[in-house]
Amino acid sequence: MDPVLAVEDLTVTLTRPDGPVPVLERLSFSVEAGRTVALVGESGCGKSMTALAIMGLLPEGFARTDGRIRLAGEDIAAAQPSRLRALRGSALSMIFQEPMTALNPVYTVGDQIAEALRLHQRLGRRAALERALAMLRAVQIPAAERRLHAYPHELSGGMRQRVMIAMALACRPKLLIADEPTTALDVTVQAQVFDLLKALQDEMGTAIVLITHDLGAVADIADTVAVLYAGRCIEQGDTRSVMRAPQHPYTRGLMGCTPHLRLGAAADAGTGPLREIPGLVPPLGRRPAICAFADRCGRADATCLDNPQPPLAEAGPARAVACWHPEARAA
Amino acid sequence: MSALVAAEPAVRPEPMRSEAAAPMPRPAVNPGLAALRLFLRNPSGLLGSLILIGLLFAALAGPHLYGVDPFEIVGAPFQPPGGDPLLGTDYLGQDILAALLQGGRATLLVGFSAALITVVIGVTFGALAGFFGGRVDAALMKVTEFFQVLPTLLFAMVLVTLFGQRIAITTIAIGIVSWPPTARLTRAEFLRLRGLDFVKAARAAGAGPLYLIGRVILPNAAPPIVVSATLAIGTAVLFEGALSFLGLGDPNVMSWGLMIGQNRAYALEAWWTVLLPGAAIFLAVLGVSLVGDAVNDAVNPRLRKRS
Amino acid sequence: MTGLRRLGATAANAAGLLLAVVVLNFLLIQAAPGDPAQVIAGEMGGASPEIMAEIRTRYGLDRSLPEQLATYVGKVVRGDLGYSFFFNEPVSRLILGRLPATALLVLSSLGLAVLAGAGLGILGARRPNGLLSHVVSLVAIAGNAAPVFWTGLMLLVVFASLWPVLPVAGMEDVATPRHGLAYGLDVAQHLVLPALTLGIVYVAQYSRLMRASMIDALNADYVRTARAKGLPERIVVGKHALRNALIPLVTMVGLQFGQLFAGAILVETVFAWPGLGRLTFDSILRRDYPTLLGILFCSALLVIAANLVTDLLYRLIDPRIRAGRPA
Repeated sequence: MDPVLAVEDLTVTLTRPDGPVPVLERLSFSVEAGRTVALVGESGCGKSMTALAIMGLLPEGFARTDGRIRLAGEDIAAAQPSRLRALRGSALSMIFQEPMTALNPVYTVGDQIAEALRLHQRLGRRAALERALAMLRAVQIPAAERRLHAYPHELSGGMRQRVMIAMALACRPKLLIADEPTTALDVTVQAQVFDLLKALQDEMGTAIVLITHDLGAVADIADTVAVLYAGRCIEQGDTRSVMRAPQHPYTRGLMGCTPHLRLGAAADAGTGPLREIPGLVPPLGRRPAICAFADRCGRADATCLDNPQPPLAEAGPARAVACWHPEARAA
Repeated sequence: MSALVAAEPAVRPEPMRSEAAAPMPRPAVNPGLAALRLFLRNPSGLLGSLILIGLLFAALAGPHLYGVDPFEIVGAPFQPPGGDPLLGTDYLGQDILAALLQGGRATLLVGFSAALITVVIGVTFGALAGFFGGRVDAALMKVTEFFQVLPTLLFAMVLVTLFGQRIAITTIAIGIVSWPPTARLTRAEFLRLRGLDFVKAARAAGAGPLYLIGRVILPNAAPPIVVSATLAIGTAVLFEGALSFLGLGDPNVMSWGLMIGQNRAYALEAWWTVLLPGAAIFLAVLGVSLVGDAVNDAVNPRLRKRS
Repeated sequence: MTGLRRLGATAANAAGLLLAVVVLNFLLIQAAPGDPAQVIAGEMGGASPEIMAEIRTRYGLDRSLPEQLATYVGKVVRGDLGYSFFFNEPVSRLILGRLPATALLVLSSLGLAVLAGAGLGILGARRPNGLLSHVVSLVAIAGNAAPVFWTGLMLLVVFASLWPVLPVAGMEDVATPRHGLAYGLDVAQHLVLPALTLGIVYVAQYSRLMRASMIDALNADYVRTARAKGLPERIVVGKHALRNALIPLVTMVGLQFGQLFAGAILVETVFAWPGLGRLTFDSILRRDYPTLLGILFCSALLVIAANLVTDLLYRLIDPRIRAGRPA
C-alpha cells in the first residue's frame, strides 16, 4: 500500500542575521492509511517543527530548504500556496497542544467547525452546522445540540480538545497531525482523548502523525515510532520492536524515564531508581558536528567524539538507528 | 507515565520558537542599571532625551542669555523671522524668541508640577484601593469612575474659570483632572502584587500596611507608574497649552499656549506667530513621549517587539 | 446575573454618577470665590439688584445649604439647568440648540479615526517590520504630540491662503439655501477641516493600538488553527484576527469619548463651528457660569451614554464578557 504521507529528507533551516541554522536535518518517515506514526523526543528536538513543516505553516524565518513531503503521492512541499490551502483542513489537518488558546474565543464552537466544511465542501450554512453537530456527537460531547452554540470559554479543557478533534476531522482528512494533543489535559481525560482518536481513526481510515512525549500512549496506539534528537531521526522502526529493544541510548534513556515501560525494556538494563537523562538538548545553532547526543551519553567513547554524526543505518527488519555503538538486538 | 512529562520543562521550557536561542536573560545584577542601559541603547529614547534637555536648557538659561523682556514692545508688529529680532515679532511687536524662551519656563513648570500632582493623587488612590480591596477599593474606584465621566479638559476649564487664572490654579486643575488613569494602573499593579509570596512573607514578618504599601509593593509596581508619569508630563503640557490658548492661562505669565491664543486672529497674515510656539509645544510633547516609550521598552523588554 | 438585573444595575450606576455631577456643580458654585448669586448671574457687567434678588429666591440662596442643594438637584431633575443671563435663554435650550453641530463634528471625527486608524493598524500589523508599519508608528507619535488647536490653525492657514479649496470657518455659507442636497454638500465641505483636525490625533492613536493588538491576534494560536483549516488570509485576518483585535480598540474609543468631546471645544473655537464648543468658549469669555456648568453636566451625560454604548458593543464582540466575566 502506498503511504498517505511520505516525508523524505526533510530539512528545515532558520535564517538568522548571523547565517542559516539547521533545525531539521534530512528527516524521513512515512505512514499508511489507518496507521499511526509517533514522533517522540524531548522538547527542542524538532517534533513540532516537523508538524508545522508538513502543514506549510512554519513560523517566519523558518523555511524548508530540502526534501519532499508527499501527501498521497503529491509533493505538497513544492505545491502552490493556494493548492496547499485547499488541502489544509480537508486532506490534512492538525490538532494543537493547547485547546485553551487554539480555539477562537469570539466565535461559537459550531461556527468554527462548520467553517472548514463550508469552505472545502461548499456546504451551506445550515448543512454545515448539521455536519458540525454530527461531528460533535462523533467526538462524544454530551448535549451536543447545546454545545454547538457554546463559546470555547464555556467548555472544559477536555471538551475543547474534543471540539478541536471534531474540527480537524470534519472533512475526513487523509492525514491528521496531532501535536501533543493531551499534554494540557488531566490524566484521566488524556486516555479518553487517545481512545477517541483511535476509534475515529478506525472508522475513517485516517493516517495519524502523533507527536508526543507520552511513551505510554505511543505503546498503546502507534504502529511505528520515530525518535527525534536535535533535529534528526536517531531511531525508528516498528513500535513494539523499538520498545522491546531500543538500540539508541537516547531511546533507552527516554524509556527509563517512563515507569511502567521499564518492565519490558529497561528492566534488563539493571534497574534502579527512575532515571533522568542528564544534560540538555543542544540548542539551535549549537549542534556539534559529532553525534549530538555524545555529551549526554554514558556509552560515548573516542569513536563517538572523533567521528561525524552517525548516519541512520538499517538495524534489523524495518529498524534503523543512528549510533556508533547501538545496543545489542533484543535478548 | 508522567515522569517524562514532568521532567521535560526542567530540561528546556520554551522549545523551538524563534526566540528560543535568544541570549539567556542576564543575571539581574541591578535591574535599574540594566534598564538604563536598554534605555540609552534605544534611539528614540536618546532623541527624546536630547530634545528635552535642549528645551530645558533653553527655558532655564535662555531668558538670562537672551535678556529681552517678552512683554516689552521691541519694534513694529508682524516682523517676519530671519531679521532682527531673529524670530520676528508678534501682533504687539513683542520679541517672539524672548517669548518662546520665557514661555518654555511656564509650560515646562506646569507640565512637570501637574504630572507630579497627577502621580501623587493617582498612586495614593490606586495603592489604597489595590492594597485594601473590598469596600475601600469599591469606594475609591467609584470616585475614580466619577472623575472619568467628566471630560478632562472641560473640567479643567471650569475649575480655572471659577477659581481664577493663576498659574498655580492651572497646575492644580490639570493635576486634579488627570489622575484617574494612573490610579487604575497603580491599583491593577497592587492587586497583582499583593498576592505574591514576597508580600505574604513581609506580612508574615509583621510588616504594617504602610510599610507594605510603601516599601514592599510600591517599588515593585514602580516601572509602569514611571512610564505613566512620563506620559502625564506630555498630557499636562498639552493641557496647559489648550487652557492658555483659550485665554484661561495666567495673563501675566508668558507661555506657548498664550502666544498662540493671542496671535491666532492674525494667523493668516503672520503665520510664524502661531507656528513657532505650536512647534515648541509639539517638540516638548514629542520629547516626553519618546522618552516615555523608551522607558516603557526598557522596563518592559518583553513588549518591545510589539509596538 | 440576568440581563434585566444587569441592566438595572447599570442604569442605577449611571444615575448615581449623574447625581454626583449635579452635586459637584452645586459645590463648585458654593466654593467659587464670591457670592453664589453673583456666580450664577455671571460677571456680565453688574447684574441689576432685581436680577440678583430673583436669583436668590429661585435658588433659595437664603436657606441652609442642604435645602439649597435639594432645590438645585430638583431643578436639574426637571431639566432646568438654569438661565443664561448673557444669552437670555434657558441653558438647556441653548445646549440642545448647539448639540447637533457638535454631534456631527464629533461623530465624523470618530468615524474617520476608527476607520482610518483600524485600517492603517491592520496594514501595519501585516508586516510588522515593513515601511508602512514604521510610518504608522511615526505618524502616531507625531500626531499625539501636536496640540489639536495648533494643527487646526496650521490647516486653516494652509487652506485659507495657500490652497483655498475648502471653507475654513463656520458650518454653512450664508448664500446657500438651508435645505436640500446643496445644503448637505455645503455643510460637508465646511466639516472637512474641523473633522480632519479633530480626527487626526485619534487616527494616530488608534492605528498604533490596532497595530499592536492585531500583531498579538495574528500571533495567537487560534489564528494558526484558522490557517490550519485552509482558510484564505482574507478570512484569517478579516474574521478571526480582526474581531479579537477590535476589543482593545472599543475599550479605547469608549474611554476617550470625553477627551474627544473636549477636543471639539478647541476645534470649534479655531474653525468657528457653531456647536457646544463655541458655546463653551463664549460662556467662559463672558463668565456665564450657568451655561458653563450646564455644559459640564451635559458632557458628563454624553460620556455616560457613550460608556453604555461601549459596554453594549463589547458584549456584541466578546462573548466572554457577555457571560458575565469581567473584562
